[in-house]
Amino acid sequence: MNKKIRVLVAKPGLDGHDRGALVISQALRDYGMEVIYTGLRQTPEQIVAAAVQEDVDAIGLSCLSGAHNELFPEVMSLLKQRGADDIIVIGGGVIPWEDIPFLESAGVRKIFTPGTPTVETAKFIEAAVLERDGYPAPAGMEPPKKIDHIGIAVESLDEVLPFYVNTLGLKLEAVEEVESQKVKVAFLKIGQTRLELLEPMDEQSPIRQFIIKRGQGVHHVALGVENIASRIEELKKAGVKMIQEQPVKGAGGASIAFIHPSSTHKVLFELCEKPETEGGVS
Amino acid sequence: MSKHQERVKNWKLATEKSMQRFPERKQKFETSSKFEIDRLYGAETEDYDIEKLGLPGEYPYTRGIQPTMYRARYWTMRQYAGFGSAEETNKRFRYLLKQGQTGLSVAFDLPTQIGYDSDHAMSKGEVGKVGVAIDSLEDMEALLRDIPLDQVSTSMTINAPASVLLAMYIAVAEKQGVSSEKISGTIQNDILKEYIARGTYIFPPKPSMRLITDIFAYCKEQVPKWNTISISGYHIREAGANAVQELAFTIANGKAYVDAALEAGLNIDDFAPRLAFFFNAHNQFFEEVAKFRAARRIWAKLMKEHYQAKNPKSWQLRFHTQTGGSTLTAQQPDNNIVRVTLQALSAVMGGTQSLHTNSRDEALALPTEDSARIALRTQQIIAHESGVADTVDPLAGSYYVEHLTDVMEEEVKLYLEKIESLGGAVAAVEQGYMQREIHHTSYEIQKAIEKGNEVIVGMNSFTVENEVQPELLRVDPTLGEKQKEKLNRLKSARDHDRVSARLGALRQGAQGAENLMPLILDCVRDYCTIGEICGILREEFGEFTGI
Repeated sequence: MNKKIRVLVAKPGLDGHDRGALVISQALRDYGMEVIYTGLRQTPEQIVAAAVQEDVDAIGLSCLSGAHNELFPEVMSLLKQRGADDIIVIGGGVIPWEDIPFLESAGVRKIFTPGTPTVETAKFIEAAVLERDGYPAPAGMEPPKKIDHIGIAVESLDEVLPFYVNTLGLKLEAVEEVESQKVKVAFLKIGQTRLELLEPMDEQSPIRQFIIKRGQGVHHVALGVENIASRIEELKKAGVKMIQEQPVKGAGGASIAFIHPSSTHKVLFELCEKPETEGGVS
Repeated sequence: MSKHQERVKNWKLATEKSMQRFPERKQKFETSSKFEIDRLYGAETEDYDIEKLGLPGEYPYTRGIQPTMYRARYWTMRQYAGFGSAEETNKRFRYLLKQGQTGLSVAFDLPTQIGYDSDHAMSKGEVGKVGVAIDSLEDMEALLRDIPLDQVSTSMTINAPASVLLAMYIAVAEKQGVSSEKISGTIQNDILKEYIARGTYIFPPKPSMRLITDIFAYCKEQVPKWNTISISGYHIREAGANAVQELAFTIANGKAYVDAALEAGLNIDDFAPRLAFFFNAHNQFFEEVAKFRAARRIWAKLMKEHYQAKNPKSWQLRFHTQTGGSTLTAQQPDNNIVRVTLQALSAVMGGTQSLHTNSRDEALALPTEDSARIALRTQQIIAHESGVADTVDPLAGSYYVEHLTDVMEEEVKLYLEKIESLGGAVAAVEQGYMQREIHHTSYEIQKAIEKGNEVIVGMNSFTVENEVQPELLRVDPTLGEKQKEKLNRLKSARDHDRVSARLGALRQGAQGAENLMPLILDCVRDYCTIGEICGILREEFGEFTGI
């Protein structure tokens, strides 16, 4: 795919602080996009007219004066009127967190607050435009496909399984020992996903450590992904800390890697790539 | 006695004499261990470079513009404030004065700064947001209600329509019974940096420069205690310049104003003593101190040697400092208190005349009352508790600081020469030279931050999760409508014939060459609005539309 993405960077309203707009314009150009900068003091009408005329894929609105709640939605409604609401609109500037849901509900795709690395903005625009145009997203950029499974730490499979199987009525698919994690795992199918009950096999098992610290209960959420290696790279680039920087072998022949909870607001996430032949024991 | 010793002795005698009029804060200054603190250190030693450093209060003013500096009086603590309606801002002003602030500083909203009334289409969403909305003298009266203008000095961050706001201030003072010779304060009035960095311009460079020199001439006669311009590096720095560029471009702009005033027929010593400067303070402590010291030396030499000014007051670079808004992070906002403290300290070590300390929440929104108070307390703690104000220019003689001061001066000179070769600041701005230089630097800084070569605590390093978002100040969303209603009431209650006569006279004046200040003053007294006055000037002068 050789599409060159065109972006209009615009300063709506009277705010004259354009350092951010200029820096982001330069960064998007360096990323390989074509960027048109409107200059200062543009009305929503002027911005929309320029976007349509220049046939851009995306508009980046920058505003530091506090007028965003009036000006951004006006851009959105004018785009709609002109039948140009397939143009992806993002915003940035001094924008309080509490205004973000309102702006997004008005159709602004994402608000980037101060401190966002410019490359993050560039990648967001790229992914949104490619998705809109029906191109496959670049590797590692698509959202995780599903929740592959939820891991639950238990003292003893023998004690808890009757609850899951008899009381909840879930189907026990298999029990397997995973040497790398020193756990015995019971798989319970529930819709498209599974619960994994994890029993520590010895005192060194991470699950044992978890139970000592926090007791039995939900241990991790596993996100089903494709191409786990590039996904890890992607996350690392975004500053996310991994527990495993290389995929390791998990249950059911899957490649797995855990994300460090310090990067995920305390939730332990596992990335999980299943072999092609999905089915049977995973 | 050597020449050196003699000069120091004379300085001491002169200082003792002036202290009879301006006594120091205390009879005796001492540390907590009771060591006595001298007024000045270093000057008596033989290796003291008296030509380069001078003595405080003496050319070339490297060590400060007064002989006793903060031992006599602290800098003015002048917090920049303004939001919403004139009534609301008046309340914040009176709160800050009650908290011990010693000068006012008004932030105007963008429509006011760009000469639009609150009901103009371009004002949509902007009324009262980044500052107070002022449409007419009526709003100015509300803004300054119960504030004695003969006792408080006021700084107004207003540029393109500075003459209109100054006229309103004069008119409010008149109504309080305070004559214009008695009022004091500063208007920013620095249009060149608007073209370069801040974007709130209205007119093209030439008529803008005329408005500025008209103010110089008018104030010389009528408002002698007013600082007629505050030549501002602040915004140049915020736009992404480094310290050298901030200083160089500000001084280049200063030269342009001096040249314009000379060309308009003014005498250098008639206006130069009222020129003021406005600098930024970022985190690199020693470099910032060196910048302030170098600034004084460069300006003094320029005024004395190049412009042949005779009055020592013309040589003195007086400046206000604001800590660096763009250095503050939205992440972990309390860290900003520490940044502001360091920056404020550098301004004090550099000898600033007045100081604004930013509030911790400014990367998120306008400051709340709590944050504004902490910001003010920061400078009060530096003044009253740290002891750094007890001796003059305490960092002088540091090998590092003196070296940085010298290097800063040399680098600034190179830039000044380059700008001169482009035809001066106005021409350089028109060619986009400064804008490009700043943009280049700001992009380099951004890349360094993203690569992690530049550590920003709490943002790209030492981050935390689950940050609690602080309470933010919200401006009344119905303010725009209320302000429009107020304006409508005013417009129907005015004397229409007088209004159109005043505006007609202004138009005629703009077509000719007379000083516009008296005409603008007549307009505001009869409640012409800022939009009407600037509208006339827009029609006559044209509008600047960016480069």
